[in-house]
Amino acid sequence: MKHSKIGSRLAGHETDGNENPTEVRFVRVPSIAERKLGSEYVAPMRLDPRILDQMQATIRSLETEYVETLSAQVSMLKVLVEPACKGDAEAHGRLYAIAHDVRGLAGTFGFAVTGRFADSLCRHLEQGDKSGKYDDTVIRYHVDAICDTLESPGTDSTISTETLDALEKLIAANRESMRAAG
Amino acid sequence: MTEEPTKAAPEFFHRLKVLVVEDSAEMRRLLDALLRSMGIEHVILAQDGEGGLAAFAAERPDIIITDGSMKPMDGYEMTRRIRASDRGADANPDVPILMISGHVDRAFVTHARDQGVTYYLVKPLLADMLYKAIIAATSTPIHFVEKPGYRGPSPRRSLDARLPEPPFR
Repeated sequence: MKHSKIGSRLAGHETDGNENPTEVRFVRVPSIAERKLGSEYVAPMRLDPRILDQMQATIRSLETEYVETLSAQVSMLKVLVEPACKGDAEAHGRLYAIAHDVRGLAGTFGFAVTGRFADSLCRHLEQGDKSGKYDDTVIRYHVDAICDTLESPGTDSTISTETLDALEKLIAANRESMRAAG
Repeated sequence: MTEEPTKAAPEFFHRLKVLVVEDSAEMRRLLDALLRSMGIEHVILAQDGEGGLAAFAAERPDIIITDGSMKPMDGYEMTRRIRASDRGADANPDVPILMISGHVDRAFVTHARDQGVTYYLVKPLLADMLYKAIIAATSTPIHFVEKPGYRGPSPRRSLDARLPEPPFR
């Protein structure tokens, strides 16, 4: 089943002046549930708490393995930080790849603060990729902070938040000084 | 008599085919495990956009879940190609594409939308976030536009990044 409007008023709204409205067509197709379940499907679809429980249990079952992975990744960050700061492109790339991984997964397994430091480090490195300039001090501080979240897990969250804020300010100041320098 | 809404039962998920495109082995494993715990048995894994395109053409999944940043081909380029109308049978305007990205900046979300991404989820990935996005992607009627060079979700629509709840963000 396929419904379409050719050159409708809605399509006209969609154009930016370069498109001929008659060349824009709006199409509606049934949802995947309608297609799969046919007449069995009655909208809306409800969330099933049992499925969510199963998903949470899956995350818990992977947690032990992830903690080992995270520890290995953080150890590798410590190894990579100095060569990366001294201009070793391969070390720099690997450092970013690990930080990117930690950003994506640490929070899922309950290491929210670690993930936030990794996110901040990634954003600093991505900003550096655009400008071609990196602040080594900021990179080192981030790696230290990430290590600290694992080595001192009981740290007051206020301290972590303040450290993160301080790093963000350092990054912002760095960005401003780079902008001023052209 | 009022009809009961459909519960997202495992029987429904058994019938779904999902393609996961993700360069991180850890994230791939997590997504695979989470989808299987939902009852989705047919999960196809690819490591980057090129692998994703090949798997999409071969398997015709119901949903694609992709990372944004990957090498050599990222999730944005893969999405652009899937929505490119000149790709004939390899193009698809209505398959929901869920992008999971570490980038929360508006520019990234807008870029994703313009390429044809359907939902944009911000890492860290949480179970309820993934589950709700899959329910939305499968239960909502699909609207798309066809215009020269593009067939997919309207690039003019509003697309918001779905953020994890604090303390994750």
